[in-house]
Amino acid sequence: MASTRDIRRRIKSVKNTRQITKAMELVAASKMKKAQQAALAGRPYAELMSQMLAALADRVEQSQHPFLAQREIKVRGIILITSDKGLCGPLNSNLFKLVTDIKTPAKYAVIGRKGAQFIARTRRQLLADFPANDRTTFADVKVVAEFMVQQFLEGNVDTVEVVWPRFRNTLVQVPTLMPLLPLSSLKEAIDGLVSDAGLTPASTPRATDSQMLFEPAATSVLEALLPLYVNRGLYLMALAAKASEHSARMVAMKTAKDNATKLLGDLTLEYNKARQAGITQEILEIAAAQFAA
Amino acid sequence: MPLTLEIVTPEARVYSDTIDTVVLPTSSGEVGILPGHIPLLTQIANGELRVTKNGQTLWLAVSGGFAEVEGDKVRVLAEHAITEEKIDVNAVEDALKRAEQQLSDAQGIDPQQYERLQNLVRYSGVQLAVKRRRR
Repeated sequence: MASTRDIRRRIKSVKNTRQITKAMELVAASKMKKAQQAALAGRPYAELMSQMLAALADRVEQSQHPFLAQREIKVRGIILITSDKGLCGPLNSNLFKLVTDIKTPAKYAVIGRKGAQFIARTRRQLLADFPANDRTTFADVKVVAEFMVQQFLEGNVDTVEVVWPRFRNTLVQVPTLMPLLPLSSLKEAIDGLVSDAGLTPASTPRATDSQMLFEPAATSVLEALLPLYVNRGLYLMALAAKASEHSARMVAMKTAKDNATKLLGDLTLEYNKARQAGITQEILEIAAAQFAA
Repeated sequence: MPLTLEIVTPEARVYSDTIDTVVLPTSSGEVGILPGHIPLLTQIANGELRVTKNGQTLWLAVSGGFAEVEGDKVRVLAEHAITEEKIDVNAVEDALKRAEQQLSDAQGIDPQQYERLQNLVRYSGVQLAVKRRRR
């Protein structure tokens, strides 16, 4: 049996660990709340954009915009959204599993240090990596989106897809692969926006669309709106990834804290037993000495 | 019939109120919107958005986006938008200086970066102009 001093030392270290994991859990919980709120704050924007796109889609029969052009897919472009820091359970490794399943040639742009390390380690082609700040701003995400769109337009990649942990609820984050470009149709883009805004599709059509005036022409408005659509889409995913990261971390830290508490109980029991055994031993020795005297 | 004006950015709903008139900085010049305007969808440039309500005028700085007029509703979809009282002159001036510095330092940086910086400079300029007008 370990000596009481050793056990005492162990108890102290486990206590410290519990303290830290408890603090991290609380921090992650508050950050998660913020991230979720940020995701909700984007809803009016999605709603308005869907209505504008719908108004335009009626007017513009066929657009020559490269975002809508279907072309042969030789190299896929994939944006991988991960976290900068670890200690968030299986969040990142689940994403990496999804990436490992991609067998066709692909080039990667990564948000978050963990993902960049993974892509480099597995010798995949990394186009660029971006830091994952604690607060996801639209400006940060826009840089990533524009970079990838540039690659897409130059023909370096033939699709733009995103791998990110979709936020289902606090306990469940689903690693998801979603295509962003090319857009298969405007209709689909509109439907996506409508569901992002938390609306039902039926509530959007309006009567006045047919008489709407466009300034400049409808086609050019549409073509200016599409990049914004892509930026917004990626922004939303980055926000969801943030929320996922914090909730995964919260859950991981909660488990760690619970384990530490359990371990602490076991150790305390063992310590008390050892202490009691020591005392009994001492009494025995004293009694034996008395008898001998 | 009063107009309702709503300004949203990806990060938040910046402004939402009933107003008398609004002047939008579109890509082809300023457009004033009065109640009863025909439906309009237009592209917005960096600039000052002027709102008049009960004879009082309010300025907002907006950058890149779209505006939709539909019935008595005016809705603006902007990348950034900020009301005049929230503009922090010092912060903006700092950002402006930094961006200008980067622009003059970096010859031959990639065009996208260049455009982004230029955009920042323009938006900062607009914010300052809005603030100065007030004084």
